Amino acid sequence: MKDGKINVHYVTRVEGHGNIMVDLKEGAVKKLRWEIPEAPRFFEAMVRGRSYADAPHITSRICGICSIGHTIASLQGIEAALGVQPSEQTVLLRKLILHAETVQSHTLHVFYLAAPDFLGVNSVIPLATTHKEPLLRAIRLHRLANEWSDLLGGRTTHPINMVVNGWTRLPTQDELRTLRQRLTEAIPDLEAWVKIFKTLDIPDFERETEYLALQRDDEYAFYNGAIASTDGGTTPVTQYREKIKEFVVPYSTAKHAKAARESFMVGALARFNNNYGQLSPLARWAAEEMGLKPVCYNPFMNNVAQLVETAHCLEDSVRIINELLALGIKEEDRSVDVKGGTGPSATLRTGPSATLRTGPSTALRTGVGATEVPRGTLYHEYTLDDNGTITGANFIIPTNMNHNNIEGDLKALVPTIVDKSQEEITLTLEMLVRAYDPCISCSTHLLNVEFV
Amino acid sequence: MKRVLILGLGNPLLGDEGIGVRVAEELKGLELPDGVVVVEGGTAGLGLIGLMEGYQRVIIVDAADMGHAPGRVVRFTPLEAQFKTAEAPLSLHQIGFGEVLALAEALEVAPAELVIIGIQPSRVERGAGLSPEVEEAIPQIIGIILDELDVG
Repeated sequence: MKDGKINVHYVTRVEGHGNIMVDLKEGAVKKLRWEIPEAPRFFEAMVRGRSYADAPHITSRICGICSIGHTIASLQGIEAALGVQPSEQTVLLRKLILHAETVQSHTLHVFYLAAPDFLGVNSVIPLATTHKEPLLRAIRLHRLANEWSDLLGGRTTHPINMVVNGWTRLPTQDELRTLRQRLTEAIPDLEAWVKIFKTLDIPDFERETEYLALQRDDEYAFYNGAIASTDGGTTPVTQYREKIKEFVVPYSTAKHAKAARESFMVGALARFNNNYGQLSPLARWAAEEMGLKPVCYNPFMNNVAQLVETAHCLEDSVRIINELLALGIKEEDRSVDVKGGTGPSATLRTGPSATLRTGPSTALRTGVGATEVPRGTLYHEYTLDDNGTITGANFIIPTNMNHNNIEGDLKALVPTIVDKSQEEITLTLEMLVRAYDPCISCSTHLLNVEFV
Repeated sequence: MKRVLILGLGNPLLGDEGIGVRVAEELKGLELPDGVVVVEGGTAGLGLIGLMEGYQRVIIVDAADMGHAPGRVVRFTPLEAQFKTAEAPLSLHQIGFGEVLALAEALEVAPAELVIIGIQPSRVERGAGLSPEVEEAIPQIIGIILDELDVG
């Protein structure tokens, strides 16, 4: 189509609401917007005046799928402000539950939301007839991930067992051994899907951009790390505001972000592009089978990167369980010295927005938590007074950081498919948005797709 | 010993939509026969397929728009009813129990015996708490379940 408008009102098979608006004139893009109409959530204001201990429970409600990730980022931010160093056991358990969330989220997205695009159907329901075995495997993997996060977190959504400096309920050695066995048994299900993806037609589209992800020396980073970029360099997370610049656009209630370039991407593909050398053997095999090589500039391959990461998380979790069993699961002291927070990981803010006054309860401490959740890097920053009451917070969620890049990709993609029909163009644009696995917010969906 | 699952579905934050979860809570306070498990299924969607696995009989308790007066309780099996399902659901949030059942049957993992206890809602807007008509139906619902379980 050469002239006319494409208006996708509420892109389907994504979490939350987003509209694609395209105006074409003689085969050229006159205007293109990725519009977010979601209302703001006000969590940053909600936590002000609350105790530090409340933040992880409140902020886990920001999302129903990434509630574990929000809890962890929140715990890290609070612990950084208080100068608390959690134990090795606490950290290993957090890494284990974070892997559960990654597997749960990625399998849900790849199998139920994205795969229908590549298998030529509108939703996952028809796959029960055409791809019965693979769908059963997908359900099995998703169920394993749910029960895994149930076991550690106390329930599937909004975990309750994680607190500042520890866990209120520890898994038993037997529970961990059983989980380890189930993870090993899940590998053939994962392998079967890798072989399916190998046969699928992934659109061949590339746009060079910057990829940001957390990075560590010793492992493929999820739990924490420094901010790495495919354009080079690493930045400590305490300086995230210098690296990532947020700004407002008039047609979107979500902010946009940029770093070294006009836009950047976070998420599975960004992590893969930065840290591929640290993937587990199974994950490296999966990447090779599906033709994913670093540095990949094709956003559609984010789905493939998610399957690669699922393999990694399954295998890496076996390693983590082995470490936990070797340490022996022990009840630990979870006490927190609320006044103590001038440790090495806490920063006393002395900018114009913080006032250091002498006298009771007025010294302010800031801490930044950053963790890789399924869709990308998540930042939670808190300022506490010396009673441990939260005086300020800042959260940057990964999908927010991707909005700018999504728009950039849509703008570059449209001219390459402008000769196709309106239906085909619309589907391809929706597929691009879905490839990001955007979690615009957890709200109920409407079903309208409007053509203007 | 028959393995029976009583699955209370719904969203307690949407008024009468939460009746299934409320019934599950009430049942947990009762003495039930061996082999009977009560689960609050909430709005688990596709996760329900995994939840139903391993049971010979599943009893679903859920708010259902059956075109009846509010508070009316109907016990039925899938063969006796036609679910209004979305043929091509556009999002996972649209996967309700009708779709789950269709999927489970297509995948041949549906339970051997499935009974649904539907309650006609009066109000499904935001706000916790049941309407009086639905609240008053709870003893009747529990009675039907105990009958299903052959409990006195």
